Amino acid sequence: MVLTMLCVSMYTISNSLCLASNILILAAPEVFMGRYIIRRILQAIPLLILVSVFMFTLIHLMPGGPEQVIFNPRMTADVRAAMRIRFGLDDPIPIQYLKWLKNALTGDFGFSFANNVSVSTVLSERFSATLELFGYALLFALVIAIGLGVLSSVRQGTLTDYGLTTATYFGISMPIFLFALFGQYIFGVVLHWLPTSGMNTLGYTLSPIDALVDHLQHLILPMLVLSITFIAGWSRYMRSSMIEIVKQDYMRTARAKGVGPVAVLIQHALRNALIPLVTVVAIDFGAVAGGATITERIFAWPGMGQLFFSSLESRDYPILLAMLTLGSFFVVAFNLLADVLYGVLDPRIRYS
Amino acid sequence: MDISDRLGISSIEEEMEPFLAETVELIQKRRSQGRIIFDRFLRNRVAVGGAVFLIFLFLYCFAGPLIWRVDPNLTHFTKVSDTLASPTWEHPFGTDSVGRDQFARAMVGGQVSLVVGMLSMLLGIAIGTFIGALAGFYGGWLDNLLMRVTDIVLAVPLYLLLFVLSVAFSDGTPRTVILIIAVFSWTYAARLIRSEFLALKEREFVMAARTIGAGNVRLMFRHILPNALGPIIVNATLLVGTNIITESVLSYFGFGIQPPTASWGAMISAGNDFIDADPWMVFIPGLLIFATVLSFNLVGDGLRDALDPYMTER
Repeated sequence: MVLTMLCVSMYTISNSLCLASNILILAAPEVFMGRYIIRRILQAIPLLILVSVFMFTLIHLMPGGPEQVIFNPRMTADVRAAMRIRFGLDDPIPIQYLKWLKNALTGDFGFSFANNVSVSTVLSERFSATLELFGYALLFALVIAIGLGVLSSVRQGTLTDYGLTTATYFGISMPIFLFALFGQYIFGVVLHWLPTSGMNTLGYTLSPIDALVDHLQHLILPMLVLSITFIAGWSRYMRSSMIEIVKQDYMRTARAKGVGPVAVLIQHALRNALIPLVTVVAIDFGAVAGGATITERIFAWPGMGQLFFSSLESRDYPILLAMLTLGSFFVVAFNLLADVLYGVLDPRIRYS
Repeated sequence: MDISDRLGISSIEEEMEPFLAETVELIQKRRSQGRIIFDRFLRNRVAVGGAVFLIFLFLYCFAGPLIWRVDPNLTHFTKVSDTLASPTWEHPFGTDSVGRDQFARAMVGGQVSLVVGMLSMLLGIAIGTFIGALAGFYGGWLDNLLMRVTDIVLAVPLYLLLFVLSVAFSDGTPRTVILIIAVFSWTYAARLIRSEFLALKEREFVMAARTIGAGNVRLMFRHILPNALGPIIVNATLLVGTNIITESVLSYFGFGIQPPTASWGAMISAGNDFIDADPWMVFIPGLLIFATVLSFNLVGDGLRDALDPYMTER
């Protein structure tokens, strides 16, 4: 009921914000992109608030909610009462939410129950590991996907194209955890080429160069596994985008002027075909906060995904809540970025 | 002198005769809409391959237990060699760590995986159709509100929330797993149906139906919805594959179907610890998931091509 009321009120707010942004637009009609970005941000704010209301309600509705976790059955009634005040548990849920939101906006997501340090400290420690894994996987996927997409568009209708199409189907039809398990089995158990878990080999003191090599060896498998889904999706995208562009008039003009086949492909076709891909990549990058969950869990990579699972097991609600809200924030933010980038890269796009 | 004689043509009837015969032939060859789509689908060999695999898979999972009368939950370990066995004629898929027959377990596990995948798809498509139809048909504030709800569901990090929801509300039975997966699988269908409705509601036949007194509900579900069926069917087929993957991920991490009920994901999870000794425990259910999802994807794409009215006959 409370949720419904909040939804309705948020909806009203979002509409009035849109109205406000429309007035802004009237004020500065010549700044197309600027007003578009402002309006999109103003629309994203109520969306994010609604999402956080939803997450907060969900976390507090959970059976065995926060109260059961922080209260030790051996605590005396006095301690219990003091803790209720300390954590603000006597307030009604909407008030608790508003307090949480106020702190969250300043980057304070409370204290982790399990580690007794602030949530933001824990998150920032883990985020770098995730960013490393995710960043390399994305970079690798990008290079491979562009290459494969261009190759299969140039060789459209040939055996190479069909082979790559088949490979793409395999890539999207296999759950990522299976790739991870098969990879671990083949390269770790059978071939003994690569380590199957962790970030570094523990228990040895290595020289800096050896440590780096060791670290990179640990990185290869999770990175490959994580990049497969991206490669499958993006190379398809690249292929259809290239095929569309090769048909354009300016391509024929360029060829007629005597530009060589490779130069036409790279300077005229590829650059334009990359525009839609950039937006897709930006949207996929929005999953960074929660995206590598499965891979990190299987390869014991100490990032956000690993943290998520351990928090889930220990019912560490402040961390779960922070991760869910930050995850949504990243998704929304990168969706917005994707739309903006599209307009910047392709000036023909006009936003209204 | 008759003009046709002068031109060396005997008569108009004779002139038209070959064409008349062709017209008769064309009328005889006239096919219904469904027949055309079916024929076009049949010409796509890969999609047909996927469909044939799915037929065999359904037979294996649902009719298989009638023939392969081995109890999937019967543990049997009198000898060490009974457990973690590689495939033999006695156990075509080997045995697990407590000597249960994996061939029988893959059957019942497949039943669970397929039923969860399909029922969550049906539920998701039903919710999505309802929301998309309301938003597209009525427009205005209702459209705005429903699309904001859709935005919220699209903005959440999917797997994180699935895991949290499973920990909070799932009792490990297929029923709750279906509900949890369905809650997140309606958004694409809702957007799809909304856009179809937006386009279709302006068409003449809707106006005609309204003029002869059809009510809103009748317009939505008897007149507009059947015209939007094509994209829904394609989306539904692809969604089964997605949902089977989701179920297997949940079960693999122990948040989905709980033992002793078998599902392919749970079987992989059970085999995970024994991957050194008996990789078959992971490979076989893994390949089953892979082949099933691949087939659903191929059939879905085949249907997309077959249902596309703008695609010329090949």
